[in-house]
Amino acid sequence: MSTDAVVTTLSTEDRPVRKAPRRPKPAPGTKRLSPLRVIGTVIVWLFTAFNIMVLYWLLGAAFKTPLEIFRDPLALPSQLFKSGRPFRNFIYAWDTADFGTAFLNTVLLVAVCSVVIVLISAPAAYALSRLGVRGSGPLTGFIAIGMGIPFQTVVIPLFIVLAKVNLTNNLFGLGLMYVALSLPFTVFLLTGFFRSLPDELEEASAIDGASPTRTFWSIMLPLARGGLITALILNAIGLWNETLLAIVFLQENANFTLSRALFTFYNAASYQSEYGGLLAGVAIIVLPMLVLYILLARRIITGLTLGAGK
Amino acid sequence: MATVSFRGATRYYAGNDKPAVDGLDLDVADGEFLVLVGPSGCGKSTTLRMLAGLEGVDDGEIWIGDKNVTDVEPRARDIAMVFQNYALYPHMTVHENIAFHLKIAKMPKSERDERVQEAAKLLDLEQYLERKPAKLSGGQRQRVAMGRAIVRAPQVFCMDEPLSNLDAKLRVQTRTQIASLQRRLGTTTIYVTHDQVEAMTMGDRVAVLKDGLLQQCDTPVGLFARPRNVFVAGFIGSPAMNLIPTRVEQAGVTLGGATIPLTPQQRAAVTGTDVIVGIRPEGWDLVDPADGLAVTVEAVEELGSDQYLYGSSDAKLLSEGESVEHQEAPHPIVVRTPGMSAHERGQKLGVRPQPGALHLFDKDSGERLPDA
Repeated sequence: MSTDAVVTTLSTEDRPVRKAPRRPKPAPGTKRLSPLRVIGTVIVWLFTAFNIMVLYWLLGAAFKTPLEIFRDPLALPSQLFKSGRPFRNFIYAWDTADFGTAFLNTVLLVAVCSVVIVLISAPAAYALSRLGVRGSGPLTGFIAIGMGIPFQTVVIPLFIVLAKVNLTNNLFGLGLMYVALSLPFTVFLLTGFFRSLPDELEEASAIDGASPTRTFWSIMLPLARGGLITALILNAIGLWNETLLAIVFLQENANFTLSRALFTFYNAASYQSEYGGLLAGVAIIVLPMLVLYILLARRIITGLTLGAGK
Repeated sequence: MATVSFRGATRYYAGNDKPAVDGLDLDVADGEFLVLVGPSGCGKSTTLRMLAGLEGVDDGEIWIGDKNVTDVEPRARDIAMVFQNYALYPHMTVHENIAFHLKIAKMPKSERDERVQEAAKLLDLEQYLERKPAKLSGGQRQRVAMGRAIVRAPQVFCMDEPLSNLDAKLRVQTRTQIASLQRRLGTTTIYVTHDQVEAMTMGDRVAVLKDGLLQQCDTPVGLFARPRNVFVAGFIGSPAMNLIPTRVEQAGVTLGGATIPLTPQQRAAVTGTDVIVGIRPEGWDLVDPADGLAVTVEAVEELGSDQYLYGSSDAKLLSEGESVEHQEAPHPIVVRTPGMSAHERGQKLGVRPQPGALHLFDKDSGERLPDA
């Protein structure tokens, strides 16, 4: 063993002032330019560019006259701005298609349904994933099967059932369908979420004297907030865009949801070559969801991956 | 405050015919600090969780005070538990965490706040009461977990390795804090750890478990001075006791030139032909290699205050009759010497057990032989 002591100076004064690099050096081997990486990057950017293009075209066309739409599909709109009525198409769509009522119907229906779905799914998922109920494993699997059944295949039987109880052409009946058809996915999403929460918190809560119900409301539900919000948003977006069931179940203008109203409006507008108005109608439906997505994108992504790892 | 007693408590886990805890009989006195210690998988945590009501009891009974709690749910047992990873509610502030039980027990807010303040003062948490657990350091979180337990003034504290997530220095500090806090509050405490130093320094009594069976329950001094079997002898004490197998002969057992006579009772207790001689690292005298057990030093562990020499003996520890392989296998020997002594790797030493530093165990059963 060597007995030489290593002497180091502790003073920092005489050291030269150094500057940290703008970006720390990545770990060796992680920054390599492989062909797969290049192809992947190109595909991702092409996909993104295509989507932005479509969005741009949609928004641009909503401010154009039919002539402009066909002659200069990619140019910026000018005709309507020159005439001083830039929102003419939106006003036309809103008035002709009765979007006012439809908007109100949709907002109400989507809000109520999303909340009800989560309110039913959360306790169900909690019980299935954490209470150790007998047969909870097979039951979870059974619920998951529900996700695999395309609802299009059961539309006719559903219609017959609802017609028998006089709930067709009725927003409540449609809401019932929405809730029922969304439950499997939401329960499944939330079971994964509840399963990822640590056991000790439940145990600590039990020792602290909380009943299982109390533990669910005061401890587990707040912890699963991220998952609940994700479930809420995903359902809201899905229901907002839902068209087929609305077409099948709703017949009266007063009950129409936005997508159903757009469907009627499409027939009328294309007959009158009102393509600007039609696309403005599409924009009215798409934009709220787009804004919601932009605001909450981060939340949705963390919510979806949170169950995956600790 | 209450006594705790396990009466033949047994716990099986699904798919395993061997119980995790097997017929545990253990009485803990009122106000006692009992430490459960053992290697991982020995059933110590299961024992604690049975007491807390987080595990079912397959056989036997558990009593807290004069109440049989075997089938009572956790919230009705009046116990508090500190978990290994603290299990603080992440969405509540420190204040809310500590007050959660009192809130459920419907204690009026003013009284609740007073109790929380008291606990916070005791644990030096007053300035953190409005913070969330994520904004606290490991030591502070540990204190919040303690606060949550003491604010309830329960009959029994259950602690499941509460220090294992702290760094070494803080662990030593917190160790004494918890022990002195417990003495001050006088609450019966069951403390689980795998660290035998923690067990020896904190407990009034220490229960050593192995494979679900209670090996010995005694005061730290008792465990150290009179381990009941080879397992306890090897588990308690760091570095571990030297356990050297020797053959019983006419005069007694021979180790490194010294003959240890056996009393008639000891002879009667030997079931086979061999005895394990146990000597703690501090129980050796250094002598000339020719006079004692010859040891070649293989590593020197310098701790400053002490020095441990890890070596192996070249001597034939078991005489004729044993397989050749066994006879020649060098037996590891640990010797404690004063710190900063001039010992080096490769050095040849002679060691001889000090009189009175010997522990004798029957090799076949592992049990301690009656003392001379």
